[in-house]
Amino acid sequence: MLFGLAAGLLLLLVAQPLMPAYRSSRDVLTAPGREHLLGTNDIGQDVLTGLLYATPNTVLMALAAATVATATALIVAGAAAAAGATTRNMILRLVDALQVMPSILVLLFIGTLMQPGLAGLALLLGLTSWHEDVRVALAMLRRELQRENVRFARHMGASRTYCLRRHVLPAIRPALAALYLQNIRQVTLRAAGLAFLGLTDPRLLTWGGMMQDAMEHLYTPAWLWLLLPPALALTAFLLIILLLIENDPAGARA
Amino acid sequence: MTAGAIRISGRTWAAALLWGLAARFAVLMLVVLAVFILPRLLPGDPLGIMLSSDYTQNLSESELAELGARMGIAGSGAEQFGAWLGDLLRGNLGYSATHARPVATLLAECLPWTLLLILGAMPVYLVLAALAGIGAGRAAGGRFDRGLTGFVTILASIPPFVTAVLLMLGLAILWPVFPASGALPMLPSDQLVIRTGQIALHAILPVTALALHEFARFYYLARGEAAVLTHRPFVLNAVARGLPPCRLLAEYYGRNILPTFVARLSDSVSGLVSAVVIIEIVFSYPGIGGLIYGAILDRDYTLLQGATIAVAAGLLALNWLIDAAGTALAGRG
Repeated sequence: MLFGLAAGLLLLLVAQPLMPAYRSSRDVLTAPGREHLLGTNDIGQDVLTGLLYATPNTVLMALAAATVATATALIVAGAAAAAGATTRNMILRLVDALQVMPSILVLLFIGTLMQPGLAGLALLLGLTSWHEDVRVALAMLRRELQRENVRFARHMGASRTYCLRRHVLPAIRPALAALYLQNIRQVTLRAAGLAFLGLTDPRLLTWGGMMQDAMEHLYTPAWLWLLLPPALALTAFLLIILLLIENDPAGARA
Repeated sequence: MTAGAIRISGRTWAAALLWGLAARFAVLMLVVLAVFILPRLLPGDPLGIMLSSDYTQNLSESELAELGARMGIAGSGAEQFGAWLGDLLRGNLGYSATHARPVATLLAECLPWTLLLILGAMPVYLVLAALAGIGAGRAAGGRFDRGLTGFVTILASIPPFVTAVLLMLGLAILWPVFPASGALPMLPSDQLVIRTGQIALHAILPVTALALHEFARFYYLARGEAAVLTHRPFVLNAVARGLPPCRLLAEYYGRNILPTFVARLSDSVSGLVSAVVIIEIVFSYPGIGGLIYGAILDRDYTLLQGATIAVAAGLLALNWLIDAAGTALAGRG
């Protein structure tokens, strides 16, 4: 399923030069028909084309932000695992307190000031969701670091980096993958919410942003083809990620 | 010896609470710093933005300086921060130019509406999730369980703002049984009973959206717990004795699920607040979320800063109190 998703995404990116341009036309707010399969919006842009252009933006941004979040969590957990008990306690207390902060407060504030684009959004979302994984990552790291294979290797003179690369990372890879999937889900939800409120770069086309544009047409029949396609795309993507999480045996353990 | 053990545990308990307070204070200071520094990194200052957008243009130098001092953008960065922090400590969150009211007053007016939504949704989703989760978990893998869990999985994949928009579309626009926005009609009634009814009618859709969003989390929790409880000897025994179903539900399942629910409730507060903010925005509800969104649209940075800090401080304090109560309860047993 994951490979199918990646292949589809790659195909969309490769085919982007071949796709018709997402430009405005005189066919304003036309209902779905032969000319425009999913209709057009209020400035005559084809909704299906927009949906296809928005897909890589939304999905790649989520993947990048989840990478930032997982990597940051792993680094902080690594620092906590290497540090003494006092430092570790301080890090954990800080992480607990960070968890109390609703991410939307920070996101709204920074989103208003910066209106982030693709890279900024990935960084912003990554850096506001890493703290949720630190406890889990630390537990995994400490469990693996105390195993006898690592102790033996250290005893035989293996370096720390060697142990990390050859013993610890392969052992925690499945659990990390599960954390990564969880992060994708969280980040997609938050990014869509931010775009829905119009707090991302207005030039960045995403599913959340398309829904925001559709909000003006709730009182006309146009919501049918303006609101539903991006909402369904978003829900379908989140559902796929959720099913991947649930079917993952490592995810059940983590 | 027992006395000594109790004293040590008492001391560690107090230390843990103090550490928790210190960490939360550190996070609050991070928020305060970020909220202070970020707007000042932007090109242009609030005064310039205010004057360039609208308001009067022909102000003298001294009037401009006075206005700048009142907006807290006079002097060096350190001086500004000192003055601002002093105001914060005295409980002065600033003055909103667009509302022409102090920020603290605005927040105090909006807080009850947000609390109404949260406290209205909480019993709904907790009770429904417990009942549905227990029903599904008792016969895990059965037809009821598979159908319901599949439905909840789909429900959990719909972002809260999509649920809110679809509810509004379906029950307020296409089939207008509920009002689409606001917390009261344009001309609210003077009579208490009618007014309460109007408030309830306006709150139903936002509360439903919030409850649907939080339902999935507690459903999974109750289902998992019930699936384990079903095979425990005391439950098997109770079923074999032919205990009335409602007693089984309340005394055997309910009581055992309650502690996990309470623990999860304190974890879920930040998610709940995130959801309520976005739902208030969709329904133009006059709560804290709506206030913050209005501040964003009006570029009212004073209000945005004050609201962000106040909500952060309130949540951190609330979470610390819940934690303290939890530790006290755990220390008792």
